[in-house]
Amino acid sequence: MSRPSNFPPPFSTADYVAEPTDPADERIEVGVLIVGAGPAGLACAIRLGQLIEESPEIAERLGDVPVAVLEKGKQPGSHLLSGAVVNPRALRRLFGNRLRMEDLPSFGEVPGESVYLLTRRAALPLPPPPPMRNHGNWIFSLSQLGRFLGERAEEGGAMILPATAAQKLLVSHGRVVGVRTGDKGRNRDGGELGNFEAGSDLVAKVTVLAEGTQGHLTGVALDRFALRGADPQVWELGVKEVWRVAKPLNRVIHTMGWPLRTNKKYREFGGSFIYPLGEDMVTIGLVVGLDYRDASLSVHDLLQELKTHPKIRKILEGGERLEWGAKTIPSGGFNSLPRRLHAPGLLLCGDGAGMVNIPRLKGVHYAIESGRLAAEAAFRALQRGETPSSGLASYDAAVRDSFIWRDLYEVRNMRQVFGRGFYVGGALASAMTVSKGRIELGKMRAEPDADQPLLDGNVSYPAHDGKLTFDKLSSVFASGNKTRDDQPNHIKIERRVPREVAELWAHMCPAQVYEVGAEEADGTVRVELAPSNCIQCGAITAKGGRLTPPEGGSGPEYSKT
Amino acid sequence: MLVFLEQHGNELQRGSLGVLAKAASLGDGDVGAVIAGEGARSLAGEAGKFGAAKVWACEDAEVAQPLPQPRVDVLAHVVEEGGYDTVLFANSVLAADVAAGLAARLGAGLNWDLADLELRDGELIGKRPALQDSVYVDVGWSGTPRLALFRAGSFDATPSGGGEPEIADVSPAYKDYSTAVELVSQDAAESGGGPSIEDADVIVAGGRGLGSPDNFTLAEELAEALGGAVGATRAVVDAGWYPYSAQIGQTGKTVSPKLYVALGISGAIQHKVGMQSSGTIVAINKDPNAPIFEFSDLGVVGDVHEIVPKLTELVRARRG
Repeated sequence: MSRPSNFPPPFSTADYVAEPTDPADERIEVGVLIVGAGPAGLACAIRLGQLIEESPEIAERLGDVPVAVLEKGKQPGSHLLSGAVVNPRALRRLFGNRLRMEDLPSFGEVPGESVYLLTRRAALPLPPPPPMRNHGNWIFSLSQLGRFLGERAEEGGAMILPATAAQKLLVSHGRVVGVRTGDKGRNRDGGELGNFEAGSDLVAKVTVLAEGTQGHLTGVALDRFALRGADPQVWELGVKEVWRVAKPLNRVIHTMGWPLRTNKKYREFGGSFIYPLGEDMVTIGLVVGLDYRDASLSVHDLLQELKTHPKIRKILEGGERLEWGAKTIPSGGFNSLPRRLHAPGLLLCGDGAGMVNIPRLKGVHYAIESGRLAAEAAFRALQRGETPSSGLASYDAAVRDSFIWRDLYEVRNMRQVFGRGFYVGGALASAMTVSKGRIELGKMRAEPDADQPLLDGNVSYPAHDGKLTFDKLSSVFASGNKTRDDQPNHIKIERRVPREVAELWAHMCPAQVYEVGAEEADGTVRVELAPSNCIQCGAITAKGGRLTPPEGGSGPEYSKT
Repeated sequence: MLVFLEQHGNELQRGSLGVLAKAASLGDGDVGAVIAGEGARSLAGEAGKFGAAKVWACEDAEVAQPLPQPRVDVLAHVVEEGGYDTVLFANSVLAADVAAGLAARLGAGLNWDLADLELRDGELIGKRPALQDSVYVDVGWSGTPRLALFRAGSFDATPSGGGEPEIADVSPAYKDYSTAVELVSQDAAESGGGPSIEDADVIVAGGRGLGSPDNFTLAEELAEALGGAVGATRAVVDAGWYPYSAQIGQTGKTVSPKLYVALGISGAIQHKVGMQSSGTIVAINKDPNAPIFEFSDLGVVGDVHEIVPKLTELVRARRG
């Protein structure tokens, strides 16, 4: 059977690494450049604002724009999507006594919780396994938290540049010196439209990549500076919806089992979450590991099917879908972390660097903490008026000393054991939890998601009724995506592949970007693309293609996810 | 009330005549119209038929080209001279520029993208589609003059049989910056004759169900027989079957013809939001579960390749 990795995309790291090209007087010079206005990048900007406030002499040296944040979405939060039950630890550290948790735009503390093992008709309650216990954690819409953090960062003096994609990594004499932003106003063939606007060189003393999952320049930097970790990174795909509901939900719910299959040969690892968002909304999502093998699997449609379960249908009854979105989650954990989190002039944070604890379904607090630590390292480097490697290297040391490292080490093999099937994996995972990670199961190698051989599956999904269950195009609409259609294609894939690879992509994509086209004489098929549907979840990069940033401001407009 | 009438090639744009007819229907006997450009005076009679009691005509050299700023000078002058408290525009590239410029010049409020206007207890209320066109919200103005820009096709241009209007010549003092811009050249976009999809009373739109680009001739022939324009869905524009200028939907044009004929269009919501305010929607699709049947007035489950040629024949025969 084919593996998607046998059909690599036309993508070369070298195309996205460049020397600055704008004349010196046209470059935009900033102190610290942060790529990505998510929890990591904004925590970094907020912490830098706090530090600079305390040392005005540094601010002076950093020029007119001491801190800039690039964001490809229309505004901070536009592309943020998560569960999100957040461990408040990192937020408390970031704000100290400047803000209390009650001042943040949350939906309150987790009121209670249930875990169910689902079959088609039944729901078997389980005692919440230790990693899933959420007492003391807070429920957020990450998109709303992002907007709030963006405002705090601006108050602290950061300049946020929204609707601007970071296209190329600027490297000069082996040192990262900033990024080049993407062009705007090109047509499908790359020609310039009337509103064409060329990208510009943003030059910085320190560049912090906080791009989140499947970060474009993070991937480029990992290759350029040979930073990839011991294991390859792997991902899961999460698809979620926000509903207005008739009656409040009084607890957070996680489910395992149906509609995923427990048989080892399918390698279907995942589960769902249902969280209350105040009195009148809930969010429901399904997360599935992208190491699955069945080419006909569609996480979007499995989520639709999940909602028809009697237990879940009851929660949504009489309600209305308000928003929809999808995103990948790095799940390789400890062994897939980059060898180093810094390179000359560069720091890596958050999801982009793979700081996610999959058994606990948590990553937001690692993102915030790593952003905060990155700010301190960048500040240290700036204090000496230069960026010697020791300043930035202190970031690696700080992360190793932090709870990020301890937590991720403890669960380092948890995800991989589920490759052995649901029940064996579950037993091993429990053993690891009880022993706090001291048990050694031997090193379990993660294989790249795109290396999994494909099974010719034939999963079929129930028809959509437009009320409880929806087709993909309606979902794309509910993400707020109204991307300009005639822009250059930003998705790099091999366009002629065996039928099962094309079908894998078509089913996998929750936004209906890929379509299986006409068969060629040699038996391959042509993959047709609708790139403007893309909501930039990143699944294609995991499964054998490569997502690059489209024109800034494209993609979804999340506001509740 | 004052209505800005746009003219090109000695013809008044139907969209702006629709707005004029709407203004006249609101019962304000004192509807004025502004026409700027060569031959403005000769078009006054036409404006009268659609309800203008007074036409302000400007034939200055400054307004010979379709540039916005000199027109802002003309309108600002007329608003003051005529004491108008409301100025209405039909959306177009030029009108949107003029409306924005006038709003800035007069410090006035501009409600844009309106789909309707009504008089309620003596107060003007605009209707604006919101939340991806799923609801209409009422909008008003906190002061005068009130400016409003209407969506293409919001109103029918129906003559109200008014008499000859009074004509007033206008020649305002032009600001230096208004005349600083010069039109260097003008290119017409390629068009295959017939009305444009924004102006057409009838649109025949084709989707992927047509099967191949060649089959768009089915849509073109039916459109020609009905005297309408051809539209397309995003999917077929993406596939290169038809030019982007014909794309209808969320990321294309928003249209509201009297008759919308959808051939082989499934009716994804992205398409629906661009055409749902059409008068009568007729859908032909072989998939009985296609969402388009949920919002069409007349649905035919069948093969477009069989039905459309016969339909075209019948229409031709009926129209002679």
